[in-house]
Amino acid sequence: MEPILTLDSIHTYIGQFHILEGVSISVPQGSITVLLGRNGAGKTTTLKSILGLTPPRHGKIIFDGMEVQGKRAYDIANLGIGYVPEHRAIFRNLSVLENLKIAERKRGDLDRKSDFIFDLFPDLKRLYKLPGNHLSGGQQQMLAVARALVADNKLLLIDEPSEGLAPILIEQMMAAIKELSKTSTILLVEQNFIMASQLSDHFYIIDDGQTVKNGLMTDLENDPELVNRYLGVKIDAVGGAN
Amino acid sequence: MIEKNWKRAIPGLIVASVILVLSLIGMKYMGQESFVRTALSGLTLGALYFMVAAGLTIIFGLMDVLNFAHGAMFMTGAYLGWQFYANPTFLFGLFPLILAFVTGLSTTSLWLPVVIKWNISEAWQVRLRNLLIIAGLIFVVLGFLKLDILGLAKTAMVATMTAANPLAEATPQEPLLAFWYRPVLLFLGGLLIALASARPGDKTQIIHSTNKWLPWTKLGFLFVLTIIFTLVRESGAIAVLNMNKDLRFVLALIVGAGGGAALGAVVESSLIRRLYGSPFYIVLLTLGLSYVLRETVQLLWEPLAYAMERPPAFAQPGKAENLLAWFNGNNMTIDIVGVTFPSYRLFIIFLGVIMLIGLMILMRYSRLGMIIRAGVQDRSMVEALGINVRRVFTIVFAIGVGLAALGGIGAAPFIPVQPNMGDAYQIQGFITVVIGGMGSYGGAAVGALLLGMARAFGDFLALKFSLSPAIAEASTVIIMVIVLLVRPSGLFGKKE
Repeated sequence: MEPILTLDSIHTYIGQFHILEGVSISVPQGSITVLLGRNGAGKTTTLKSILGLTPPRHGKIIFDGMEVQGKRAYDIANLGIGYVPEHRAIFRNLSVLENLKIAERKRGDLDRKSDFIFDLFPDLKRLYKLPGNHLSGGQQQMLAVARALVADNKLLLIDEPSEGLAPILIEQMMAAIKELSKTSTILLVEQNFIMASQLSDHFYIIDDGQTVKNGLMTDLENDPELVNRYLGVKIDAVGGAN
Repeated sequence: MIEKNWKRAIPGLIVASVILVLSLIGMKYMGQESFVRTALSGLTLGALYFMVAAGLTIIFGLMDVLNFAHGAMFMTGAYLGWQFYANPTFLFGLFPLILAFVTGLSTTSLWLPVVIKWNISEAWQVRLRNLLIIAGLIFVVLGFLKLDILGLAKTAMVATMTAANPLAEATPQEPLLAFWYRPVLLFLGGLLIALASARPGDKTQIIHSTNKWLPWTKLGFLFVLTIIFTLVRESGAIAVLNMNKDLRFVLALIVGAGGGAALGAVVESSLIRRLYGSPFYIVLLTLGLSYVLRETVQLLWEPLAYAMERPPAFAQPGKAENLLAWFNGNNMTIDIVGVTFPSYRLFIIFLGVIMLIGLMILMRYSRLGMIIRAGVQDRSMVEALGINVRRVFTIVFAIGVGLAALGGIGAAPFIPVQPNMGDAYQIQGFITVVIGGMGSYGGAAVGALLLGMARAFGDFLALKFSLSPAIAEASTVIIMVIVLLVRPSGLFGKKE
């Protein structure tokens, strides 16, 4: 199938630091693809480079048949990319409702989507008048995901949705992401290997700013040595971390 | 949660209790009359400080720009409004030219689909752009060549200096036959610069499929407006001078604020935009800009101080017994609990309150306000949602400068209109912003109130104990130091 997003050997600098030294990824339409790698390997920077928040200096990014590298971030986002940043970066001084409302690209986006969003995250409906900084960590994470769903997005970039969540909330988050993948393609960054392996179809491993391995998730689960080498996680061949 | 709410209310409580204690002491030792008078003066000053500080604080909060030209922009607003009120010949003479240029500029989005198809190598794209801009600027210069700008500017001076009928003093504008080519040249200049900013040959641009007719409608509207203002250069000025003076004053407020907002938009989009991320250069730029504005004003209207006439609604002799009586009599002064107070100063307080309410509504209930509040916290996330933050920056800068300019023209009838009239207000504005907390307009309001009161009561005390009036000036800085020691981010500041 035609990939919806292709990164062709991109190089990104932050200040004088060469963070991405040739990341190549292709995300098939309708799939969940996960970026794996140690802390500081460049996963978040990859997502930010796609959006133009940290524009790559070299390389090509093709989204939906269009070259987007070097374009302004809002232009890229308006092509249909939703972004869920790490650390639950919601707008803390805006109410839950405003956090959703601000993500509207057309008038009435939220009215159209609100049933869908509140079905996924029933908590938010109850809390919608509260300011963002009154939510618990889990609720903030739900809101960050919900915010990316307000506009019609073909691709969702989700950065560490399980970070710091209680196990029961992780389950809810996983169910939500599964549900989302029915309508849009998802590129996920996830440290939680169990969650990553249960959700995604494809994987890419980024190490020291380079894509070093990729393939089907099922293959990775059967290669504990590889997982251990690049992710520092020990798994049994049948899956599941110790 | 309850605890959090408490903590947020603390600065407000402190301020309220300080004011309460001070007013009790004041009532007791100052006597009611002088206390009320001083408090009202403090409110007037506070309102003015707020007008300057409100713009400063939202501009800093959203874009980390310290605008050192804010005082000069306050002054520019005052000059624009004073011009319009005294004799608008100058403004009517220049406006068609500016409109013609803007009309040309507005064609950028129309060029875009055309020029994006051109095949030009990257090096030639840059050369072509520079060439187009230079050519456009040449057209602009040619359009203004030999236009008697100074003569036009002097009309307002003559109108205020000789108490003569300003109508008789109005220098006639160039006749249409000698003038018509100027707007045409400026339109062409704008057209060329618009072509350059459409970036011919640059295929990485994205064309959004918005309403196809909108840019054409805009262009047509501006075009008609240009023609109208080209025709009414003389009659328009005369019509304004024949107008009811109160109405003229209201229009002057709008012209001052609107002119300020336009100036802000131009400065942000042409100069400051290039320097985000290097705050030191922005400081230099805005500082330089303040000199440019001041010198320009001096060139046009000489380094003199003008007294702007009070609008008749605040100028009838006698004292109104209360606010209702003032509505009928339009008196110069109003009796407020036994104190005779100039009615125009009450208007300034009123203007400040209206501005605060307007800002509050804008920030709380409009989409723009929502984006600003979000942007103060996390700019790049706002952009990642598909919002053009750059355009929001331009709008916010325009609003901020517009507020300062409105303050300028509002203050003009009771402080001398002169090139350095904004300097003191800029310093007080900065202190206000620091006290209130960078980025918080509510904080700016509280800070302005505190400073205004400190200033007024300081002056009163200095006079009473025959101390140096410098005490009053120092008191504002002392308040700032105390606030900074207790709360380094200001009373309502959230940013570190």
